[in-house]
Amino acid sequence: MILAPARRRPKLDQWLAFATVPFFFTLFGIVFVPLSGMMPPRSPSSSPPQIVDFMQSDSLLVACAILTLCFGLAPLSNAVYLIQIKRMSVSPVFRYSLMVGSMSGAIVGMLFPMFCFGLGAFRTGYDPSVLAMLYDFGYLAYIGSLGCFCVMWLAFGLAIILDTNSVLPKWLGYYTVWQYVTELMAAPVWIATSGPFAWNGLMTFWFAMMIYVPWQIIVYVCIHRSIKNQPDDELENA
Amino acid sequence: MNTRGQRILLWTAPPAMALFTLAFVLFPVFAPPLSPTMTPEQVAAFFREHHTAILGVVILCNLIAGSLVPLFAVIAVQISRTATSSSVFSYAYIICVGTGTTALILADYCWGVAAFRPDRDPQLISLLNDMAWFFFIAPVGTIVVQNLCFAASIYLDERSQPIFPRWVAHFNVAAALLLAPGAFSVLFKTGPLAWDGSASFTLRIVVLATYLVVMFPVVLRAVNRQGSEQAVLV
Repeated sequence: MILAPARRRPKLDQWLAFATVPFFFTLFGIVFVPLSGMMPPRSPSSSPPQIVDFMQSDSLLVACAILTLCFGLAPLSNAVYLIQIKRMSVSPVFRYSLMVGSMSGAIVGMLFPMFCFGLGAFRTGYDPSVLAMLYDFGYLAYIGSLGCFCVMWLAFGLAIILDTNSVLPKWLGYYTVWQYVTELMAAPVWIATSGPFAWNGLMTFWFAMMIYVPWQIIVYVCIHRSIKNQPDDELENA
Repeated sequence: MNTRGQRILLWTAPPAMALFTLAFVLFPVFAPPLSPTMTPEQVAAFFREHHTAILGVVILCNLIAGSLVPLFAVIAVQISRTATSSSVFSYAYIICVGTGTTALILADYCWGVAAFRPDRDPQLISLLNDMAWFFFIAPVGTIVVQNLCFAASIYLDERSQPIFPRWVAHFNVAAALLLAPGAFSVLFKTGPLAWDGSASFTLRIVVLATYLVVMFPVVLRAVNRQGSEQAVLV
C-alpha cells in the first residue's frame, strides 16, 4: 500500500467517530427524558385515562422524529468501542458478538419502543385498549429488552478481562459485568406491575440507571485515553 | 486471495435491484402511496380489496429483503481497504446495514399481517399500516450514517491511489442529505414531508434508485482494481 506523503492527523477517523459518542448519548438522553417524558418511566399501573393522555402527547412525535434521524449514530458509537476490542489480544469472536448484539439492540431496544409511543401519538381515535397495548409494548421493549445487551456486555467485559495488551483497564471489565447483572435484574419487568421489580421500579430502573450512567461516562473517558495512547506504528495506516 | 468472491456477490445486486423494482411497481400500497389521512375503515377496506396483490408483494419482499446486503458487504470490504487508522467506519457501516435491513423486514411484516386476516378490527389493520409506514419511511438514521461513514473513509483515504474517487464521497453525502427528510414524516399527515409526500416518498425512492444504479459500477471498478491485493482483515 503506497501512502500519500502528507499525514497530519493519522487517527482522524477514530477521533471523528469518537466525537459523535457524547453527541449521540446527550441527544438520546434529551429525547427520552425531558422531550418525550418517557423516562423516568411512567407506572405500569397507570389508569386508562392517564395512558391515553400520555400516549397522545405531540412531544412523543418530535422525539420520534429526532431519534429516527439520529439513531444511526448508535452503530457508530459501538464501532468506536469495537476498534478498541480489536486491539486486544482476544479472539475476533468478542467483537463480532458485540457487533451482532448492537445490530439487534438498535431495533428492539431503541427504534421499536420509540415507534410504539410515536404510533400512539400519530393518530387520534384509537381505542384506549390499543393505546394501552402500545404503552406496555413500548415500555417492555425499552426496559425489558435484555438478551442482545447481555451478549454485548458479556463480550465487552470478558474481552477487557482476558486482554493482555492492557488496552482498557481491568476494573472496567469488572464494572461491565455489573451492566450484565442489571440486565438480569430487569427480567421481572415482564411480570411485575408494581413494586421494585416493575418497569419503573427501584431495582429494575433506578438501580440500573445508577450503574449505567456513570458506566457510560467512564467508558467514554477510558476509550478516549485508549485512542490517545495507541502508538502510531500500530495504526492500520502506519 | 483474489476478488472472485466479491465479484460474484456484487453481480447479485442487479437482479436484486430488478426484483425490488418489480415489487415496487406491483405493490398496491404504493400506487399511489396510501395517504396518512385515511380513516381506519378506509384502510381496512383497501387491504380487503387488494388482499392478494399485497400478500404477493409481501412474500416477494420477505424473500428479497436482504438481497442488497451483498452489495453493502462488498462496500464494507472496500471501505476497510481505504488507508485510515482503523476499521471504525467499516464496522459502523456493517451494523447500520444490519439494523436498516431489519427495519425494512418489519415494515414488510406489518403490511403482511394487515392483509393476512381481512375481517380483523379496522383499528388494528390501520395500526399495522401506520407501523409499516413508520418502519418503511422514518428510520433514515442508519442509511444516513452509513453513507456518511462511506464518505468519511473516502475523504480520509491516505493512499496515493485512492480506492474511490472523491466525487463518490460527495455523492454519498448528497444522498444522505436528500434521504434525511423522511425522519420528519411522523410529524405530518399532509404535504411534502408526510409519508406519501414528495420529499419523504418520491424523492427518497428516486434517490435510492439513483444511488444504487450509480454505486454499482463504482464498486465494481474498485473491486476490479483491487487485483490480488489482500483486503484489510476486519
